[in-house]
Amino acid sequence: MSEMFAFLSPDLASPDVASASAWRSSLERALQHAPAGVIDISLSGKLEVRGDVDELDAKGYDVVPLGPERALVICDFTKTGRLRDKLSETFLVFDMSGALAGLQLRGETLMRRLTDLDLETLPAVGSVAHVRTYVLRDDAETFRLFFPQEYGHYLAEVVVDAVEGLAR
Amino acid sequence: MRLPPQPGERLDRAQEVTFMFCGKPVRAFQGDTFGSALFAGGQRIFSRSFKYHRPRGLLCCSGACPNCMMTVDGIPNVRVCAEPVRDGANVQPQNVWGSLDRDLLAVTDKFGGPFTPVGFYYRTMIRPRRAWPLYEKFLRNVAGLGRIDKHGARRGRYDVEHRRAEALVVGASEAGIARAKELAGQGRQVVLVDENSDVAPVEGADVVAPGRALGIWEGGLVPVDGGNVLYRYRAETIVVATGSVEQPLAFPGNDLVGIMLPESVRRLVEDWAIRPGKRAVVITADETGRESAQLLRKAGVEICGVYDLRRERIREIVAKGRKGILRSVEIDGRRVACDLLVMSGGRQPAYSLLAQAGARVEYDDSTGVFVPTEIPDGIEAVGSVTGEGIGAAIPAATYNGASGQGKCFVCVCEDVTDKDLKRAISEGFDSIELAKRYTTVTMGPCQGRLCHLPSIRVYARENESDASSIGTTTARPPWGPVTLGVLAGRPHEPAQRTSIHHRHKELGARMMWTGTWRRPYSYGDIEGEVQSVHGAVGVIDVSTLGKLLIVGSEAAEFLERLYPNRFGDMKTGRIRYGVLNTDAGRIMDDGTIARLADDSYYVTTTSTGAGAVVEWFEWWNAVWGMDAQIVDVTGALAAVNVAGPRARDLMQRLTDLDVSNEALSYLDAKHARVAGIPSLILRIGFVGELGYEIHFASPYGEYLWDTILERGADLGIRPFGLEPQRVLRLEKMHILVGQDTDSESNVIDANMPWIVKLDKDDFVGKWALEHAQARGPRELLVGFEMENGRVPPEGGQVVLSQRRPVGRVTSARWSPELRKVIGMAWVPPEIAHDGAQFFVTIDGGFDKAFVRLRPFFDPDGERLRS
Repeated sequence: MSEMFAFLSPDLASPDVASASAWRSSLERALQHAPAGVIDISLSGKLEVRGDVDELDAKGYDVVPLGPERALVICDFTKTGRLRDKLSETFLVFDMSGALAGLQLRGETLMRRLTDLDLETLPAVGSVAHVRTYVLRDDAETFRLFFPQEYGHYLAEVVVDAVEGLAR
Repeated sequence: MRLPPQPGERLDRAQEVTFMFCGKPVRAFQGDTFGSALFAGGQRIFSRSFKYHRPRGLLCCSGACPNCMMTVDGIPNVRVCAEPVRDGANVQPQNVWGSLDRDLLAVTDKFGGPFTPVGFYYRTMIRPRRAWPLYEKFLRNVAGLGRIDKHGARRGRYDVEHRRAEALVVGASEAGIARAKELAGQGRQVVLVDENSDVAPVEGADVVAPGRALGIWEGGLVPVDGGNVLYRYRAETIVVATGSVEQPLAFPGNDLVGIMLPESVRRLVEDWAIRPGKRAVVITADETGRESAQLLRKAGVEICGVYDLRRERIREIVAKGRKGILRSVEIDGRRVACDLLVMSGGRQPAYSLLAQAGARVEYDDSTGVFVPTEIPDGIEAVGSVTGEGIGAAIPAATYNGASGQGKCFVCVCEDVTDKDLKRAISEGFDSIELAKRYTTVTMGPCQGRLCHLPSIRVYARENESDASSIGTTTARPPWGPVTLGVLAGRPHEPAQRTSIHHRHKELGARMMWTGTWRRPYSYGDIEGEVQSVHGAVGVIDVSTLGKLLIVGSEAAEFLERLYPNRFGDMKTGRIRYGVLNTDAGRIMDDGTIARLADDSYYVTTTSTGAGAVVEWFEWWNAVWGMDAQIVDVTGALAAVNVAGPRARDLMQRLTDLDVSNEALSYLDAKHARVAGIPSLILRIGFVGELGYEIHFASPYGEYLWDTILERGADLGIRPFGLEPQRVLRLEKMHILVGQDTDSESNVIDANMPWIVKLDKDDFVGKWALEHAQARGPRELLVGFEMENGRVPPEGGQVVLSQRRPVGRVTSARWSPELRKVIGMAWVPPEIAHDGAQFFVTIDGGFDKAFVRLRPFFDPDGERLRS
């Protein structure tokens, strides 16, 4: 089955494609003059996992629960292939690495200008500037957002604008 | 008029501030407001009233009434009594033709009365109807208060911030601050908000000032207007400490300049060290009036009389003045000369927030005001808003409205007199809700703070009932004026862009919206782009297509239940065109369905329909519970369509896959590496030429696009946009759902009966399609070509010789390839045969058209299958 869905996985492109730096993030242009603390983390592995997701051990990857039998697994890009194969033994796995873009932000107040999600009960899925987003919290001030890449440019603009608003 | 330094005054006499008023400089101290500084300098008239343009002066000095509204630095409707002074500010009056002292529109006060009774706009300026544009121009110029600068660039910046509070206290009154401290002492996270800016820090609480709470919504939501930031608070406990509002008395002449409420006196004397007048009369229905008298005496004002309505029975009060300025007041016929009249009609609790939250509002006979009761869970009320400490107040002062004695105002915002209210009642608007809407009382800037209770009192008297049975009108947010800017915040308008988006812009494409997607309309040469697809090879970004994977042992059955098509008999690696129906048998969406394996299908949808289709599939499967996983991969994959006679040549340069016609035939789907990227190739033909749709991981969008343009350069490749694509698909008579079909169209009438397999088991919409087939079509979708070269408008009427409209045009374009105008239209079945003639309305004329049932270009699809 995984061969049939190989076209989903960006990490399966040929080596010469990889060396040509062909992989592009949808946030690039909007983040050209990115303020400090806003980092493009789109180049990461994201796998939508379906099945008995309580069995996920989260060793070497993050888990965002999406429902009783669904979760989003986030890992380092270089580990995507191995993790995808391993998880496919127990679960249905669909590679969303190309589907989602990612941003790392610093600042709780910044987050409060972007979403009304309860920041104390993360990770969670909710609306950030009207876009369905997976939100994780690494520490008091560090947040990671993953969202559909087609909204990447728009969301990056929103974030850069919000940072500017706080600076005033 | 400045007094010597007062204990506790808000002025910093060491810091002088200067601002401009009507072009003249005004001196002030830090701590003054624009209003207090103007008053100290001798200004008495602050505005002209809404309808009658009567002179108005300081009345409440606490931001409740409309009398002091002016335009400051171009921002209209600023209550200068409460706005702190700023050096260099430019203050202008508003709503005057001329000046505050001589307003030409004051003619409405003298003569306009008969023409502007309550509800006059329902009766006047209606005939002759031709004159309406004139009336409208006049009304627009005299209506409203302040003016906004239509050409002003957006001022400042507004943000929205979402916050949480365990306890939110609204109102930094004594009671509010005390409760905030108490809650903080209990370890709660406390936020205190107040609409004024001068609030001292409160230990243990986070103070937001100025911060006006706009209302209370479900879920403890209290948006607080902080000027440039809207703080959307969600609070576990909301404490309302909004206090109470001093009420005016109603008597003829009660709007003259020099008539004030006690709070005005207190602020002028204590906060800004200003003597409000020389000779004062006090008429009061509670203790605050008496306190004002004491304060005035200390400030050196001569008190000419204190009338306490709790102890004396006074039948008639009439205030008189000249040019709108108070000169005397007559109490039961006895004239007392004065330039200041302090009136107090009791204090009405500011219950609006509580009422919005669901509290009941009841009339308290002992105090003569409305108080909130049955406060809901999660809300507290403290201080005078509960009615405590208000003290007995008699609903005093008769509203005698004696004719000839002058206007007796119930609502100074909207210039509604007691006569107006009586007239409304006599016309039949005898419920408070109806009367409010008819007279507009309480609908002005004060939003009922100063007029709701007085109007209810008039009602009670006129209807010979009591205030408690009259009741109050519904309290609604916002509780105070709020700019649209701060409600809007930043312009967050989501836009979807494909991963190839920036290449389109770099190529100079004109972008357009398709739903929330940005797409290239064309790259500047629609005809050229069309012809490159016919003559060489073109490439179009179709990444916006909805894309779904359906995976599971029941995938085929699942799709067969949703679509009228059959899919179970498809071979792996084959594609079918499917049309999705609603359960009423109407066309909902269309797309391709490719079988990737026994248990896996790849479904595409229209660009704008993707979200709805995913929801539709998931909703049905929630009911059916079939073994079919639905995976939305719309954003995971980009897609491009290379089409044209040289498309195969190009594909050979991009992939090792055998792309000969035998190995990869029309409607085949195959996996392959394209330019090194794992892809799914669908050989389909929306644009009518040999074509390949390549689906691959989004992050490689630009890379593959660049590679295609590079390797196809000598083949004459050109990118083509949405508009040329529309021309091409029209040449093939391929429908666009939503363009050629509407919410009533079904697949059979749309001339695609071959899609429907009625011999299948039940599927969504089957019963409706059986009916449609049995009944026969009422109209049919056909192609047509025009006799001459004019392009009919989309939606243009189809008419027969009797000039009766019998159908409509859905699409029409000039085809450069065919050198004629072609289109599609819904027509009656009688003329749905090849060559039948009809007319289309264009520019008021009737142009001839001929029905065509087969595709205009390559009707047998030879180019597609080559």
